[in-house]
Amino acid sequence: MIPSAFEGARIILRKELRISFRQQAGWCAMLMFALTTLACVSLSLTGGVLEPKLQAALLWVILFFASMAGADRGFADEDMAGTLPALRLYGASQGVLWGKTAYTFFLLLALALFTVPLYLIFLDVIVVNAVWLWGTVVAGLAGLAIAGTLLGALATGASVRGGLFTVLMLPVILPVFLPAIALTGAAFGGEEASASYLLGIVLYDLVLGVAASLLFDYLWYED
Amino acid sequence: MIEITFEDVCAAYGERTIFSGLSKRIPGGRITAVTGENGSGKSTFLRLAGHLLRAHEGKVSVCVDGQELRQAELRSHLAMVTPELRFYSYLTARENMEFLLGLRGITLTDAMYQDGLRQVGLSEEKLEGKYAGAFSTGMRQRLKLAVLFLSGADIWLLDEPGANLDTAGKTMVLQAARKAADAGKLVLLATNDSGEEAAADDTICL
Repeated sequence: MIPSAFEGARIILRKELRISFRQQAGWCAMLMFALTTLACVSLSLTGGVLEPKLQAALLWVILFFASMAGADRGFADEDMAGTLPALRLYGASQGVLWGKTAYTFFLLLALALFTVPLYLIFLDVIVVNAVWLWGTVVAGLAGLAIAGTLLGALATGASVRGGLFTVLMLPVILPVFLPAIALTGAAFGGEEASASYLLGIVLYDLVLGVAASLLFDYLWYED
Repeated sequence: MIEITFEDVCAAYGERTIFSGLSKRIPGGRITAVTGENGSGKSTFLRLAGHLLRAHEGKVSVCVDGQELRQAELRSHLAMVTPELRFYSYLTARENMEFLLGLRGITLTDAMYQDGLRQVGLSEEKLEGKYAGAFSTGMRQRLKLAVLFLSGADIWLLDEPGANLDTAGKTMVLQAARKAADAGKLVLLATNDSGEEAAADDTICL
């Protein structure tokens, strides 16, 4: 009996969370990258003031590159540990895809909850609209999670996996980044941005989700 | 009735051809051994049979009662014991079993867990609180067999199932394979072991 995609995803997510809390290596890599980058930026800008749009762009650059340290780990870690054959044999494609995506989103959200407040403090950023800011962060990270999971699966097994993953991610995620930077800039008191930008990010995330769902079967099954 | 059919199949890795022009019919209800020298393609044959690898040429079809199975539906009928299969090092034996069987829609109860361990000769007390990363190769092999037995799969792909097992363990595997074949399951066994080959009803020599 094949469980539903939701049930399969729930089982995968539970397994990922269990292992990540016991292993912790993945967390440390991402969080240390974010902390190091924040410290470097903060020390370089001591006393300096950036305009809101630059503050927003810098925040998303930090989030993007910190997430690259974790967004592709879903399948890469399984491949390195040798557990991918077992997962392929027992796991149905949609449950695996959405379970891994849910875990990656959880990881990225934890990264943002750690990074964003520290960024605001270190760079002395004033937030005029917290709802706008966090809404943009959540929608943007959802897109990163979906794209990261699909492209991570695609890049697994490639001899230049790390480079390939980052190269593939940028064009896919750019339609999320550009409006996210504009919205975040507005949240920091800069030029006003239309609410349609946020709607655009959400719609693009939905399109990414549908595309990932359709494409993943071709990656997962040999027949 | 389960059946796997190879039609003029060629398997290759890059420029190296493993075998070509292979046509075979593997019926359910029997143990079929796949034998051959190292590098002859025994493991590849098993992976092709389970659609875990795509044939370079030709076609491999898996049918149940005349209906061809593919993708998730095929996988739900399939279970495999192979050296490449690994458990999650940071999960316990029970957690690994719950995870893999859960993906098949099977809820692992206490009774099932204990029965599974008993069938493969593993002690619940010895496994208690230990992560799979600390298991010996023999324990891991027995755990793979426990997952296979509890999965309820119709198609058993066994790649050197007696590897890393003692004499009692090897006997257990052959008895379970015979029982499965008698129950109508399709048992495909890749082996270099003369004892395992002798227990088979049919042999495919690559």
